[in-house]
Amino acid sequence: MHLSSSDYHLNGPAVADLLFAIEGLSFVYPDGNQALTDIALSISKGDRIALVGKNGSGKSTLVKHLNGLLPLQSGSLRYREKKTGPSIQSVLRQEIGILFQDPENHLFCNTIFENVAFGPMNQGRSRDEVEELVRGCLETVGLSHLMYKPAHLLSYGQKKRAALASILVMKPEVLILDEPTANLDPKQERILKELLAGFPGTLIIIDHDLLFLYDICERAVVLADGRIHHDYSIRELVSSQNSLKEHGLDFTFRFACCGGQHKPAPTSPHQHYHFSHDHGKNGAHAPAVPEAPILELQHFNYQYPDGTIGISDINLIVYPGETLAVVGENGAGKSTLAACLLGLNHGEGYFFSKGKKMDCRLHRALWRQVGMVFQNTADQLFCPSCWEEVAFGPQQMKLPAIEIKERVAEALHSVQLTGYEHRIPLHLSGGERKRLAIAAALSMHPEILLLDEPTASLDPKSQELLLKILEKLDMTKIIITHDMFFIRNLSKRTIVMHQGRIIRDYPTPAFLADKHIQASNGLDYTYKNTCLEEIMDLQRNHTAAAG
Amino acid sequence: MTEILPESRIIIHLSVMASIWLTSLVVLPVALLTAITFLRKKKTQQKGQPDWSIPTLDNHADRNSFFHNWNPAAKVASLLLYCFLIVSLKTFACSVTALVISLFAVYFSKLPWLPSLQRLAAMSGFLIMFLLVIPFSSREQPGETLLIFPLLSRFPFHLNGFFLALTIVIKACAIALLMEPMLGTSSLSATLQGFTRIGVPVPIIQMILLTHRYIFVFHQEMVRMQRSMKVRGYTARTDVLTMKTMGNFFGMLFISSYDRTQKVYEAMLCRGYKGIFPTFHTREISGKDLAKGGIWIMIGLVLLLIERLPSAP
Repeated sequence: MHLSSSDYHLNGPAVADLLFAIEGLSFVYPDGNQALTDIALSISKGDRIALVGKNGSGKSTLVKHLNGLLPLQSGSLRYREKKTGPSIQSVLRQEIGILFQDPENHLFCNTIFENVAFGPMNQGRSRDEVEELVRGCLETVGLSHLMYKPAHLLSYGQKKRAALASILVMKPEVLILDEPTANLDPKQERILKELLAGFPGTLIIIDHDLLFLYDICERAVVLADGRIHHDYSIRELVSSQNSLKEHGLDFTFRFACCGGQHKPAPTSPHQHYHFSHDHGKNGAHAPAVPEAPILELQHFNYQYPDGTIGISDINLIVYPGETLAVVGENGAGKSTLAACLLGLNHGEGYFFSKGKKMDCRLHRALWRQVGMVFQNTADQLFCPSCWEEVAFGPQQMKLPAIEIKERVAEALHSVQLTGYEHRIPLHLSGGERKRLAIAAALSMHPEILLLDEPTASLDPKSQELLLKILEKLDMTKIIITHDMFFIRNLSKRTIVMHQGRIIRDYPTPAFLADKHIQASNGLDYTYKNTCLEEIMDLQRNHTAAAG
Repeated sequence: MTEILPESRIIIHLSVMASIWLTSLVVLPVALLTAITFLRKKKTQQKGQPDWSIPTLDNHADRNSFFHNWNPAAKVASLLLYCFLIVSLKTFACSVTALVISLFAVYFSKLPWLPSLQRLAAMSGFLIMFLLVIPFSSREQPGETLLIFPLLSRFPFHLNGFFLALTIVIKACAIALLMEPMLGTSSLSATLQGFTRIGVPVPIIQMILLTHRYIFVFHQEMVRMQRSMKVRGYTARTDVLTMKTMGNFFGMLFISSYDRTQKVYEAMLCRGYKGIFPTFHTREISGKDLAKGGIWIMIGLVLLLIERLPSAP
């Protein structure tokens, strides 16, 4: 079903409640890219809209029109019945707040207080009023104790909340959020969700996480190729699997092979020293095979140069071929541990590689053994073509040209990027860039692949593809993630980190059943599981009705 | 061996003296760097990696001292004027007095010594060049002492030139030490607002503010990219591949910075930016602030007058 006009308000919203009336809006970027085509949309007061679609479908371009960041090229856009333009630009910017994906862009002043005060000061409010507003807002987002700290000293979740406070303090009528949950742990996500639930105005959220959107939004606007393809309730969107598939939003693959593990495990949690064994036919455990670990840390500590403790008393064994999930709240020390395993951070304690104690020479050679895929691919990809990007590692290894060619072709093939050799990495979609980063690591034939938040900011289609690729990779994998689905499907063993320490190291089913550890460490995934079950019911009903 | 020439110049062929001077030139910066390393180690209690993070300028702006309680505009105006007076000094003795005053200023500002020493260390390469070049290149003056180094008889070491270089170095150190009490004792925005009140154009101040904020983000991006190169085996060599890699690296940094500039500007527009940064902190200049400023200017003037007064017969 393709719609060229809004049918959500078929009966027509009350004129007094109508905020935006968009008719025939089209927009072309200077490079000739047609971002929007004939958009017709009406947004009323109190609407809670999920704006979804593939990367490049025109979502961000549309919201930039709503507060006048982009000029109107063709069509009409009315806000409160007034044509948008320079005359009401200041009204638009005061009443419509946008929270962009990267909080660093919002925090351009020296301290958090000054950042949050920036908007109300521009609104012409008095100093006393501004001070009261800022303090109140920072209290709401739980950052009042960091009021005079510079932004670069805050964690990512704190930055995100500070950026949100800098928007909320202006008391906007409409709040637009671009990928608000990207890179947040479940605890920070829950805090954000609670803050948004309490927002009284109109809400427009761009996100790929339909589970998050399902709980907050009532209406879904689906964009594809710069056009509105659907405009209906979010229940209708999630219940129609065909529609989700059409727009690359089908996250139901997450239901397919979970084996019902979102429910408590039928057996009591148990723990073994070796986890790489399978269950026997009669349900009994096969004997564990003692194997030399590929990596081992004993009483390992790392302290940052500024004195902050990164990880403390880490005891970890990684066996060849196993897939290990590392979970923990933001700042728990997961990435620091990864940096230690890569030899980037030199800590204190015992570090063994294949039974050999790590010395300077082995430390320097760790990069040949461990491949890393960073959370933000922008940090990893810097070459002008995909071929050069993948060839970079083998070139550093001083391999012969023929072997480099073979390795690049093989790595690109394994991540389904064959034919992308001459494409520019910067121009690829988020999912493609992530796969390219994996290929760049694979071309070095590492024994261990470390992935830091591989699913962050990916749309469901890219996530599904990534899962298939990772399942096929026959090597030791260490996955740092908050994504329960990936943990459940890829790892047999999970370690839980908290405040720089490993507090649990047990089989994944035991972790999934351990509600206590999830709740006490800000890893509460239960609300997502509830959403999953609700959506599954909706889809079953929809299929039955269609049948 | 010493010889007095008809042009009333004194030439000393002293290899021992030369060694002493050279040793002192080398020992001074080494001692300084050792002190910094010691302070850093003491601070971090870290045996592993050195702290290469960018220090925050106003990290200790919330303390309480003579400088902290001074209005930033008055402080900036009077200390800048004082610095100009110090630059005008010509004698070695007065410059040393200015250096001692600056050391006292750092002490009374209750700021840690490390940032001040780091500042001096950053300047040390440039200052050492002064000490090495000026003594060999200054113009000959009647009555001055020349030191002739072994094997360097064509390039006499002018003692007057050396003292001139030393005076310049001491004045530079005196002024650099004053930077911490001047810039580190108020929040950066308050200090920069002080600069606008003494006539520095607002766009320049806004650029400094944004640069200061985003230099940390830029540094973090750079470190992350370097780490990702390192885990793929990158080591800087003197070959074409390294040059190509560095070109790609800086190119990508430039692109991401340009991209961020656009996004930050959009975020500013979204929050009502109309070309001027609103200032929240405003503090009126009191009589006490003016008195403090007057004291500093007086000190500078006194130093200047002492050296300019005709010496007693």
